[in-house]
Amino acid sequence: MNLDFTQFIPSMPYILKGIIVTLKIVILAGILGFIFGIILSLFKISKFKVLGWIADVYTSIFRGTPLVLQLMLIYFGSPQIFGFQIEAYTAAVLSFALNSGAYISEIIRAGILAVDKGQQEAAMALGVPYRKMMWDIILPQALKNILPALMNEFITLTKESAIVTTIGVLDIMRRSYQVGAEYYSYFEPLLIAGLIYYLMVITLTFLGKAVERRMRRSD
Amino acid sequence: MIKVEDLHKSYGKLEVLKGITTTIHSGEVVAIIGPSGSGKSTFLRCMNLLEEPTGGRVWVGDQDVTDKKNNIMKIRQNVGMVFQHFHLFPHKTVLQNLTYAPMKVKGLAKAEAEKIAFELLEKVGLSEKANEYPTRLSGGQKQRVAIARALAMQPEVMLFDEPTSALDPEMVKEVLEVMKYLAHTGMTMAIVTHEMGFAREVADRVLFLDGGVLVEDTAPDEFFTNPKSKRAQEFLEKML
Ligand SMILES: Nc1ncnc2c1ncn2[C@@H]1O[C@H](COP(=O)(O)OP(=O)(O)O)[C@@H](O)[C@H]1O
Ligand SMILES: [Mg+2]
Repeated sequence: MNLDFTQFIPSMPYILKGIIVTLKIVILAGILGFIFGIILSLFKISKFKVLGWIADVYTSIFRGTPLVLQLMLIYFGSPQIFGFQIEAYTAAVLSFALNSGAYISEIIRAGILAVDKGQQEAAMALGVPYRKMMWDIILPQALKNILPALMNEFITLTKESAIVTTIGVLDIMRRSYQVGAEYYSYFEPLLIAGLIYYLMVITLTFLGKAVERRMRRSD
Repeated sequence: MIKVEDLHKSYGKLEVLKGITTTIHSGEVVAIIGPSGSGKSTFLRCMNLLEEPTGGRVWVGDQDVTDKKNNIMKIRQNVGMVFQHFHLFPHKTVLQNLTYAPMKVKGLAKAEAEKIAFELLEKVGLSEKANEYPTRLSGGQKQRVAIARALAMQPEVMLFDEPTSALDPEMVKEVLEVMKYLAHTGMTMAIVTHEMGFAREVADRVLFLDGGVLVEDTAPDEFFTNPKSKRAQEFLEKML
């Protein structure tokens, strides 16, 4: 196997710039998906059954179809959905946020249900209104328990973000591919991309563990 | 003052409370006694609407808690509750457990809420634990914090649901001491308990529940020396 990485050194800055692109998509989609996931999970545990039903159908659809399909539907369908063509970057953030919102809502729902029922009763007995109770008492405890699962979802998002290549976003994946095309040699740049993704995932895992340790202070 | 009138509660077909009528006057300490499953907790929880009665009425002060027009959240601020299993907020320190509701519900300033909290912690003997998290406390300490947390809202009535039942025997006393102290301050208290000695010493009145019926509503000495009903006699034979 003859590998020649040296010829790609001049292209490295170009590939590395893709990290910023990927991170921007993943972080923004992660935050939006998280907020959206909280809202959906509150729907799911709501006493208004219609809300729960809507959230369940939503989750079912977004978990039951390929992410790459959702991405393309939003990107290529945007003229029909929004009346104008949205940017590839926007489509990427949007579809990832909507998709991870579905997964995160299931994680959070399970986390909320795992919080001791006595916590809600104690808050109610103190006269704490539902929203404050959820926000200050239940969600913080739920989030602490589900942090590993959330981190997993975020890592999946980071890896899966490579599919934005299909709608032309210049992320790590697409840049390495382009460099490969330029040199008629795909193997090395793709290996480089692989290494970059792997390092990102390792870093995320490490960060997740650190946050987890911090949150376990009260144990 | 809590007034209960023909209180009924059913879970589906199971009728748990079968028409209870009584009044707990201001400053009175009432012990609620009865076999397991007799409806003591349900009775207590109907007083702050943690359980919704299926019939009858309950007043806290002059407010009818069963009247949907009344703001139950507001009423609950006046009714402290202490649970068998404490239910402290584990992600908050002892001090934060005490200041949370006064700040977030009553809108007290932090300084004022903390002043009240420190006074209460001193009264329950836990000043030095203010910045600990609940997991670091013993059961008895947790329950004393839970009592202080309820008191921090400066309620007019305190409800206790078997506050010492989950404690190791050596920790029961420290919690009962706090409750005794509270009774002496003139707090209105309704206490579900299996501590017969405590009930006899501290309570002004005993309510004996059996099968969802208020079988006896009488003075402690009368109840413990000369119970009228056969069911109370049998119960006391087993307990004492
Ligand atoms: N949420 C509930 N759903 C159905 N049955 C219940 C519920 N809560 C209590 N019960 C039943 O009501 C009866 C009285 O319960 P409870 O008030 O807890 O009794 P006690 O506190 O005297 O032991 C029991 O038979 C119990 O099984
Ligand atoms: Mg009970």
